[in-house]
Amino acid sequence: MLGFTKNDLAKYPFLKQTAEHVKKLGLKIEELTNTEMAPILDRAEERVKNAILSVSVGTKRENDVELPSFPVAIMLAIATQNSFIKKRYALAEAKQAFSDMQFETREKLLAIAADFNWKIELNRSTAVPLEFALNFADYLRNTVHLRDSNWKLVNRILINGTVYLNKHDVARLLQEEVQRRIEKRLETKELPNFPEKITQIAQQLLALAKERLGIEEMEGFPKVVTQSAFPPCIAALYEAASKGRHLSHIGRFTLTSFLVNIGMTPEKVNELFKSFSDYNERLTRYQVEHIAGERGSRTRYTPPQCATLQTHGVCTNSDNLCRKIRHPLKYYKYKQRR
Amino acid sequence: MAAFSQEVVYTKFSEFYKTSSEVLPLPTLAKQREFAFLLFKERVMIRHRNFPDLNRLKTFLNETVPSDIYHSCAYYENPEAEMDRKGWLGADLVFDIDADHIPTSCNKIHDEWTCGKCGFNGKGITPENCPICGSQKFDAKTWPCDQCLNSAKEETAKLIDMLEKDFGFSPKELHVFFSGHRGYHVHVENETVRTLDAIARKEIVDYVSGLGLTVLTEKTKAKTRKKGASNVFGLHDFGWNKRLKRGMQKFILNAAKEDLRHVGVRSYAAVLQNKEAILKRCLEENRWTSVKGVSIETWARIAEHVKNLESAKIDTVVTSDIHRLIRMAGTLHGKTGLKKIEFPAARLMEFDPFKEAVAFKDGTVKVFVSDVPEFRLGESMFGPYRRQAVELPTAAAVLLICKGRAEDVS
Repeated sequence: MLGFTKNDLAKYPFLKQTAEHVKKLGLKIEELTNTEMAPILDRAEERVKNAILSVSVGTKRENDVELPSFPVAIMLAIATQNSFIKKRYALAEAKQAFSDMQFETREKLLAIAADFNWKIELNRSTAVPLEFALNFADYLRNTVHLRDSNWKLVNRILINGTVYLNKHDVARLLQEEVQRRIEKRLETKELPNFPEKITQIAQQLLALAKERLGIEEMEGFPKVVTQSAFPPCIAALYEAASKGRHLSHIGRFTLTSFLVNIGMTPEKVNELFKSFSDYNERLTRYQVEHIAGERGSRTRYTPPQCATLQTHGVCTNSDNLCRKIRHPLKYYKYKQRR
Repeated sequence: MAAFSQEVVYTKFSEFYKTSSEVLPLPTLAKQREFAFLLFKERVMIRHRNFPDLNRLKTFLNETVPSDIYHSCAYYENPEAEMDRKGWLGADLVFDIDADHIPTSCNKIHDEWTCGKCGFNGKGITPENCPICGSQKFDAKTWPCDQCLNSAKEETAKLIDMLEKDFGFSPKELHVFFSGHRGYHVHVENETVRTLDAIARKEIVDYVSGLGLTVLTEKTKAKTRKKGASNVFGLHDFGWNKRLKRGMQKFILNAAKEDLRHVGVRSYAAVLQNKEAILKRCLEENRWTSVKGVSIETWARIAEHVKNLESAKIDTVVTSDIHRLIRMAGTLHGKTGLKKIEFPAARLMEFDPFKEAVAFKDGTVKVFVSDVPEFRLGESMFGPYRRQAVELPTAAAVLLICKGRAEDVS
């Protein structure tokens, strides 16, 4: 396998090899506030700040600052204890990686992909005019959040378990992988004892995010149920249910979870299902309360997203607003406001 | 089924699990799977059980005699724990093809429905509204017929073709089963797909169903492009494009006026007159605008129709559910008394479910049949019977009782 240069490690600080390199430097949290470490801390702060302001990470500095600034930036993001900042920072790093990776040689891209254990190789067949051959499972794992229909597996060349891709696509999929790896590092629940200075910077970053982006708690839904704001899929399910027509399992789940999420009480939802021929009060109550999060695992379930409803044939009569949203609850929220 | 009739089925199932010399095939990594059982009398599901070895499972079956036996497709750290404490490790990729979901040439004439409100009944596909009282609640009784199972087989063949050629699964990783009722199951046991989440599996479902193919909607995009409509419809020779191409070739070659009109092609005359030119210029040379009088919209329409023919009609929910319980191979189906049975994918076309899945080979049972179409089991034909008592081989009698079409009178 091709080795990475120190430049590479600075450019791609999320690589396992970079982590090993930084480990050797033996940085300690307590020493971060020492004056000779100031440039590193400064660069780290800049990384997160830029992420908040413009989803970027700023200009690179010399390798000896750049390299250790990444784990410090991770620490700062963790110290903010804010999930929005963490997400945004991971995205910013991943985007930076993408724009760098596009200009790398194929071999270097393969080496980065190998760091994530991808099953990927150069395409040796002349029949397909694309440079890379990637295992379809790796492809699927990294297209989950990509919305363009171009990324759907059905629109790709899939032969014998391999998806054929050009360099741009491979770099884009690696971006997803990078983002996930960084998000995972940010997930940590146990907070170390941060020095005063670090906590201070984190507080400033948090204040900045609040000021610039107005991150507030997600607004809840108004308590009144507005039937006219139902998306077409829910309207169809609702009508079918009120007439006692048979609903598929996923149809019932979608309707129930939608209704409890917009503030309908489990009792009201129960009423709705009473006209079913296979109605069983005890069972229905149990299931509805389960979905509402009042039983069992105590998680309130949300309805499936639009793409899932399409797969299972629940999506129906989609209209213009449907094209702009990806989730039935978004549709409701949007329409109800107007 | 009436309590008395249920007794016979229970006894037969019990004998089967006690004496069947055939060893039940335990699923791979059985000790990481959840097992579940449906009980005859109580109709309740016993869940969250685990049987690391066959002997313990057999003892349990002898004691409880369930009507149906399932195991999880998923592998868990603690298969006996509650759902959120199980520790999901992965799951086989499973497909379920059921004749219920497929339109068939028999038109389901053997199925019966009864209005839940006024009791009016009829045969065939259950209507939207009761023709007498307008109610929308029905009780339906289905029947597994040769034609239904053959159409399920054709869908399974298309699925297997995609799983082998496009997804590259080896025959060793593909396990094909008759479900014991109205369809087929395909289980894929493969290291790389085991950990795929529900969303990734949904993409596989969309692939197999041809959902979201952009070649079919390209024409709407063309309008916004300045270049004009030339070459917006195009097909290359790989993946779904290849399937569409092959399918369109076949469709156009055999198409009569009625077929084209059925698909919604208004310029059918132009298509019929230019078949040769179409096959050569469009399908071979990818020059789709070269045939006068046939628009891009027409190609998109035909392609859409061909997509429906080439896609495999699977139960979409089963495949994307990563905790799914599925019937255990070698066990009996409570609605038929037939076995879920595995066979090599290569034997799909010659596989005969009404022969190879028969579990009860000895003896006869006297039953009173309410109504049943002519049917085949093994080499023999039976029926049609209507309100009459007959003495039938055990397998046939159990099938009728399980399907609610007969009562035990012995």
